[in-house]
Amino acid sequence: MTLQALTANRLSDGIVVFWSHGRWVERFPDAELFTEPAPAETHLAAAKALPTELVDPYLIDIRLDDGQPVPVSYRERVRALGPTIHPDMGKQAEGGPIIEAIQHAAGAGRSTGRLSLIRRK
Amino acid sequence: MGIYQYDTIDAAMLEDRAAEFRAQVARRLSGELTEDQFKPLRLMNGLYLQLHAYMLRVAIPYGTLSGAQLRTLADVSRRFDKGYGHFTTRTNIQFHWIKLKDAPDILDALAKVGLHAIQTSGNCIRNTTTDPYAGATAEELDDPRPWCEAIRQWSTFHPEFTYLPRKFKIAVTASAKDRTAARAHDIGLKLRRNRDGELGFEVMVGGGMGRTPYLGPTIREHLPARHLLSYLAAILRVYNRLGRRDNIYKARIKILVASLGAEEFGRQVEAEWAAMDRAAVDLPDEELARIRGAFGLIDFETLPPTSAAFEVRKAQDLAFARFARNNVLPHKKAGYAIVNIALKTPGEVPGDCSADQMDAIADLATRYSFDDVRVTHAQNLVLPHVKLDDLPAVFDRLSEIGLAAPNLDLISDIIACPGLDYCALANARAIPIAQHIAERFAEPDRAEHIGELKIKISGCINACGHHHVGHIGILGVDKKGEEFYQISLGGSGAEDASIAAILGPALPAPKVTEAVETLVETYLSTRQEGERFLDTYRRIGAAPFKEAVYADAD
Repeated sequence: MTLQALTANRLSDGIVVFWSHGRWVERFPDAELFTEPAPAETHLAAAKALPTELVDPYLIDIRLDDGQPVPVSYRERVRALGPTIHPDMGKQAEGGPIIEAIQHAAGAGRSTGRLSLIRRK
Repeated sequence: MGIYQYDTIDAAMLEDRAAEFRAQVARRLSGELTEDQFKPLRLMNGLYLQLHAYMLRVAIPYGTLSGAQLRTLADVSRRFDKGYGHFTTRTNIQFHWIKLKDAPDILDALAKVGLHAIQTSGNCIRNTTTDPYAGATAEELDDPRPWCEAIRQWSTFHPEFTYLPRKFKIAVTASAKDRTAARAHDIGLKLRRNRDGELGFEVMVGGGMGRTPYLGPTIREHLPARHLLSYLAAILRVYNRLGRRDNIYKARIKILVASLGAEEFGRQVEAEWAAMDRAAVDLPDEELARIRGAFGLIDFETLPPTSAAFEVRKAQDLAFARFARNNVLPHKKAGYAIVNIALKTPGEVPGDCSADQMDAIADLATRYSFDDVRVTHAQNLVLPHVKLDDLPAVFDRLSEIGLAAPNLDLISDIIACPGLDYCALANARAIPIAQHIAERFAEPDRAEHIGELKIKISGCINACGHHHVGHIGILGVDKKGEEFYQISLGGSGAEDASIAAILGPALPAPKVTEAVETLVETYLSTRQEGERFLDTYRRIGAAPFKEAVYADAD
């Protein structure tokens, strides 16, 4: 089973957001996890049609570590947490089991998103 | 006094620019502009989208700030960010938690004190780098800042050079000791006098870091100083004409110079320059004199060359003596000193400065250093004109705010880019590696025993952390998604410039500090009298270091 989540940065403030059952949320633990490619792609297409709300929406791969969802790529784990050097900043500040799972996750695949943005910068 | 003040034209320009960006942001938020349309506009105003938020890079022209400007940066960090800023290797400052909707208000606030984000992004001529000791060191032939200001005035919004093949960085140095990494710039300019005593520039072109590092070769030994701007224009015209625009990785001028050869590139520049109406471009003597005047009005006191207060405190206080030994340098005026503030307290983030620290440094500058603060490419700050008598008070205040680390140019004075903790381009984190190494070598006696050792860390091949010119360079790489670090040795960005050579296979993060420890031990066991790490490396080569590191890594 391939798990995916839909993420973007919010246009107005750049904050990382995730799609969650009909709305965009700031916390990764609240993100909706897609188990099938089709609905994930459908929601991605819908997100791309929101240019005044989002910048560069894309899907990220998720795996389960001891039952907790964590982004597969290191880059996405940092986005889901905040800067590792400032545990008091970003989304990691409020803690919780999923945040802890992400903090302890090791190994990664290359980021599944933002490559087009990186190339253009 | 002592700092160039923007005139009414500059002030109006900054206000107009902020107003223009406000309208552009409004059009983006309303949907009138797409992201693809808006992105070049925000980048021209220093606004990037990074991992967690927008990042605003504010220009600090040739690394010079007034107290009021530094206080404004503190205010911006409090009101619009999370209470801190990050000084960069380009002597700018970045704020990492900016909201797009706030950016116009920030530009307005900056403009009120003559600050802006122009020339901090995009394929234009970027902020010029110069010696952070300019106007303070007796080593310099001439004050480089008026030349930097002339370059700023000439290059800002220059219509011919706003859409270059790639970004373009210029450094100006005027001392035998190069504190600008001049040869690692697209153009490095070194002020010198010829045999007739005429002031001129050695012109080096085609240096740079990134994925293909080069040291810029000299294409002209002595350019009469009055022709600086026309000669720069000639170089840029050749670059604009021949520089590659089809491949972003081959678009920098270093690739053009390397492919043509320095001699042929220089010949084309000379031909372009010979055909140019130089008088229409060069800085008129009276304008140069006006700019010089703005920098030269410091009312130094006539003081004895020694200070009883300074000497007594040194004799009584070992910590102060250490700070004086490592961070305080001679000034051109008797009774004054140059004070380096290392933003490198072991364990802290290299280059980071809190709003409270910025305010405190601004106050120190206003009270003790003619309202003048400098930013160095090593991510440190400088109070350039402090009376010896005032050094104890300055040290005490720096100690109170946690910025009296006595480690300038020592092993814990590490350059590190933001890396994967913030940057969308990074492959690996740089800051935690720097923190770990600095903490390992935090003991000041040991750091002094090791001596000058410049570690520079980049989180990706773009080399914002200058790893190619580190005595020890560390590059974060992505190995199948894991953070690994490639170690290079033997680089220098100073007057003895060299590009570091890769030591061997990249190491996982937990082994990097141990590897540095091994490199240091190898150096200490083989160094000869007076040798720095770099000198020993150059004498004995990479083999002993490689053998030691990879024996330990097995």
